[in-house]
Amino acid sequence: MKLRILLADDHEIVRRGLCALLQKHEGWEVIGECSDGRDAVEKAKQLKPDVVILDIGMPNLNGLDATRQLMQHDPNFKVIVLTITDSDQVIREALDAGARGFVLKSDAARDLVSAVEALQHRRMFFTPRVNDLVLAGFLDKGRAISATEPPTLPTLTAREREITQLLAEGKSSKEVASLLNLSTKTVETHRSNIMRKLSFHSIRDLVVYAIKNNIIQIDMPVGAKNGSPAA
Amino acid sequence: MTIRILVVDDHPIVRQGLRTLLEGRSGWEVIGEASDGMEAIEKAGQLNPDVMVLDVTMPRMNGLEACRVIRRSSPSLEILFVTQHDSPQMMREALDAGARGYVVKSNAARDLLEAVEAVSQHRQFTALNQRDSVSPSL
Repeated sequence: MKLRILLADDHEIVRRGLCALLQKHEGWEVIGECSDGRDAVEKAKQLKPDVVILDIGMPNLNGLDATRQLMQHDPNFKVIVLTITDSDQVIREALDAGARGFVLKSDAARDLVSAVEALQHRRMFFTPRVNDLVLAGFLDKGRAISATEPPTLPTLTAREREITQLLAEGKSSKEVASLLNLSTKTVETHRSNIMRKLSFHSIRDLVVYAIKNNIIQIDMPVGAKNGSPAA
Repeated sequence: MTIRILVVDDHPIVRQGLRTLLEGRSGWEVIGEASDGMEAIEKAGQLNPDVMVLDVTMPRMNGLEACRVIRRSSPSLEILFVTQHDSPQMMREALDAGARGYVVKSNAARDLLEAVEAVSQHRQFTALNQRDSVSPSL
């Protein structure tokens, strides 16, 4: 029986590359492709894949929040996140969201097959840096991790994070309402709650917050080397 | 029509995606890959491709610098940029460097084949993110 994989990345050219890589592996089948996190969550619920591969930086719903939603729906989902950075904060969020695999996009050609194989055999797959961080946290009973934690802000609910992403992407309350099947009034109430919780006074503050907290990701300027295959 | 193509991008997974797309067209052949500007110059000299699909942001030497060098060393080779930079300024810089075409990476799956076809016939092809900004020939 084939291993059924669902793949989500907002760049079609990257999806094609990933599909070509995965489909070279006998016994694996890419059963669906998605270009945003919201679609990925819906398709995963419908298709019940064995492994879900989610890019973190996707529009409408990022890969971390998509992972949270999937794990909330069914904790047996096996999720690998693809990321352009293995910063402490992203690692912590990915682990916290319930991802069992963590692969840098720049290393996907080398690591993704190993990651899928690991999850197929009920193991986890992380980059060496994730392993180091987890080990440091274990040895120091959490002190090593908490020492690098950014100052905490009030926690947003899953719905508030979704709305934060959409607003930070430049969508109006009406557009957000339409995407989430809510009334505009409900979205505006959420928006007020978010701004109050975070003590923000402008949408600019919210955009900066969304970037700093990996809710949205931005393209790097030319010459600034990052790990994004979109660069 | 046979077109021999060199694909240049620092991310293997993107090169694989571009290769898959390009080799879906009958008669087109990806004859090589490079992962930075220096390697692109080297392979352009060795392999003599018809078209180079070139990224902008790469380590060691970026695509714009490589394009300027290749323009002088291989004047008949046509260069098509495939980049994340959805910017008229960057597009202008690419054309000034000697490229024949410019496609935004997020739309590559839509525009790439048409762009390669155009530049292989020495026609300019530029497409930013808005479909109405496409100018297949000038």
